[in-house]
Amino acid sequence: MRWGSACAIALACCMLAAAQTSPGLAAYDRADRMFHEHRFQEAMDAVDEALKLEPNLVPALTLRARLAMAANRYDAARQSLERAIAADPKSWYARFLYGFQFYQQNEMPAAIEALQKAHELKPRDPPSALYLGLAYEAVGRTVDALGLYRRAIELEEAAGTLHVETLLTAGRLYLVLGRFDDAAALAERAAKADPASRDPHFELARVWLKKAAPAKAIAEGEAALRLQHGDTPDRQIHYLLVQAYRAADEDEQAQRHADAFRKLEGRNRPN
Amino acid sequence: MKLIVAGVLLMGLASTAPSQIRFEEIAKKAGLHFQLHNSAAGEFHQIELMPGGVAALDFDNDGCIDLYFTNGASIPSLRKMGPEFYNRLYRNRCDGTFEDVTERAGVGGEGYSMAVAAADFDNDGRVDIFVAGVNRNILYRNLGGGRFADVTAQAGLTGVDPQHGKMWSISAGWFDFDNDGWLDLFVSNYVAWDPKAEPRCGNADTRFYCHPNAYQGVPNQLFRNNHDGTFTDVSRQAGIAAHIGKGMGVAFADYDGDGFEDVFVANDSVRSFLFRNRGNGAFDEVGVESGVALREDGKPIAGMGVDFRDFDNDGRPDLVVSGMVNDGFLLFRNLGKHGLFEDFAQRSGLLLATRPLTGWSLGMFDFDNDGWRDLFCAVSHFPSFEAYLGKPAAQPNRVFRNVTGGRFEDVSLAAGPDFQLPALYHGAAFADFDNDGRVDVVVTTLDGPVKLFRNITAGTNHWLAVRLHGTRSNRQGLGAVVELMLPDGRRLTGHATTSVGYASSSEPLVRFGLGTSRAVDRIVVHWPGGRTQEVRDVPVDKVVDIEERP
Repeated sequence: MRWGSACAIALACCMLAAAQTSPGLAAYDRADRMFHEHRFQEAMDAVDEALKLEPNLVPALTLRARLAMAANRYDAARQSLERAIAADPKSWYARFLYGFQFYQQNEMPAAIEALQKAHELKPRDPPSALYLGLAYEAVGRTVDALGLYRRAIELEEAAGTLHVETLLTAGRLYLVLGRFDDAAALAERAAKADPASRDPHFELARVWLKKAAPAKAIAEGEAALRLQHGDTPDRQIHYLLVQAYRAADEDEQAQRHADAFRKLEGRNRPN
Repeated sequence: MKLIVAGVLLMGLASTAPSQIRFEEIAKKAGLHFQLHNSAAGEFHQIELMPGGVAALDFDNDGCIDLYFTNGASIPSLRKMGPEFYNRLYRNRCDGTFEDVTERAGVGGEGYSMAVAAADFDNDGRVDIFVAGVNRNILYRNLGGGRFADVTAQAGLTGVDPQHGKMWSISAGWFDFDNDGWLDLFVSNYVAWDPKAEPRCGNADTRFYCHPNAYQGVPNQLFRNNHDGTFTDVSRQAGIAAHIGKGMGVAFADYDGDGFEDVFVANDSVRSFLFRNRGNGAFDEVGVESGVALREDGKPIAGMGVDFRDFDNDGRPDLVVSGMVNDGFLLFRNLGKHGLFEDFAQRSGLLLATRPLTGWSLGMFDFDNDGWRDLFCAVSHFPSFEAYLGKPAAQPNRVFRNVTGGRFEDVSLAAGPDFQLPALYHGAAFADFDNDGRVDVVVTTLDGPVKLFRNITAGTNHWLAVRLHGTRSNRQGLGAVVELMLPDGRRLTGHATTSVGYASSSEPLVRFGLGTSRAVDRIVVHWPGGRTQEVRDVPVDKVVDIEERP
């Protein structure tokens, strides 16, 4: 459910320009710059200053919400976004963030309601389509989810901003549905879109394992392991490679990956 | 002529058409008034979420399966402050009704109980009861005459670990790991929990139960039977204690066919364990190597109930594990090659069908006796999560029909009006309570009344159940593998175990649906330790008693 890099991508690409001059705008601009420089406390001080000057400045309220979410303060984020929506009910970005924070908090009915509104207000916004799809998938509406994933891919392509994670999100659902060729096609597109990412190779390895082609699964799994960039942890790749090597009767290699898995497990033992 | 051919074809189709699995709920009618109390009072103690173990056992050897229910206690004292918290024993009167014999039997218990495991640990021919709990484990020895004695302390089964103290025990099971003819005890422990140090999750107005990540994991325990009414904690030398998890359901089967039963432990939100029995008193944890530690994508699920049973009739025990909403249940097919399993949940349709479910106890039994083991799962979401899911926590259970070992089909909606009854279902035990040849299910509900789902599936399919009587092996023959050879060449396999699902204990009989087969050519029993015994000319639609040849 948690979705690290896609979240960052979505938030990064969804910045709203506050075009008009207003009393709090200068402070907001400063806050926004600091936010992008990861100077979060200073950004929070500047955004508070902007809101003191102009309590209903929507970009400042949405930025405040993003800062709160970065600090895991979802209650504070929610309050800021409710103020932003009250100030401008047509702000698709405030609606999107409102839905996004519900999604992050696993509150799916509320996430769906807010993301639907964001999607209606800006139907050509890929993240709204993507997150609405994710929320639908979480409540079992797989057909609706797939439709929205496809739409998000189209929109990203049209905008020239195709993201690996959008392709792989759709691919993973295809895998669950047993549509292995569709899943593989999307993973291959993702590998082309970002050759440095390990994630498409991991997903391809999963597909090949499902299709009883362990040699191809091994090739993709090993390729994933060689790449550093991406969200898939080594542990997951090692686990997959254990299964792939065992299916290929290469027990020594399987054991090598099992040992690597256990080593990582010992290091990162969860509570 | 055409009409005759069409008629014959239609008759043929009718005879092979599947029977719709159906249940009616009869707990009240049967005199089962047990009510589970978890003492939830808005403090969100983790233990409140977890109780509900139930056992199906024949404690008085009258051939009718009785019931034992575990129950909660007051919080934070963790004491059974009144009779409403007693664990309860109900005797099956063999007439469709039960009577509460708790006080007479002396099995009301103490502490916050979670789970029960029933088996004859002292080989005296009477089934004993082990209760696992948060602060107290109890071993009741069946004295006969409807009475039990608490022998926990002298047996050495208080569960107090030298390093961890008394851990929160959540499931338990009996099996003979060293094939010495005496049942040993495996106890699955959940997390380190202290009512005085309960973490708070959520905020002031929307508090909820914490994720298991908020608690430290603990090891499981293995107790070897000393043949004299006492047990030795061998968790460390056996290699069990070295593995820290968040244990939930536990199940046993000889998955690699080496003659020694292995152990699977479903863990909550961390990877599951498969302990391969080396046959020398030690176990290797091989979950990763065997492909059953995690979901196919390498992520853990909130594992709950588990059954270790052959669903595809290839003679090898497979694994099914329930999980939480959006996990999807795990179904692992035993490939019979180098101890490897294949994640079969997606291919069988179970992954997609179970992603919306939070599953607790479960069991693979042939509810329509068509020769393929189906899947029943007790279902409910966590009580504090309704707002998050947009669904009530109370849900109806689910039953999935096994379509010739390749696919599981959700047939719940057609399983009768009583089956649509939503509740906070948790524990479940499986047995034929009315001896009609159809497997029934008793299901506990969190802070609510018990439900008894009587199997009323129509149809003319035949069945056979094998009740084992060990002489050199343990008295109930737990761990024995039973093979049935049918006249049409089919071979069906099962093994004797009471450890099924979550926190619960089912009847020890090995049951088979035979479909349209009216005969069984022979039964082969592989007793623990490797001795084989064959029985021919076996009647069907009966419970067959097989005593181990000395």
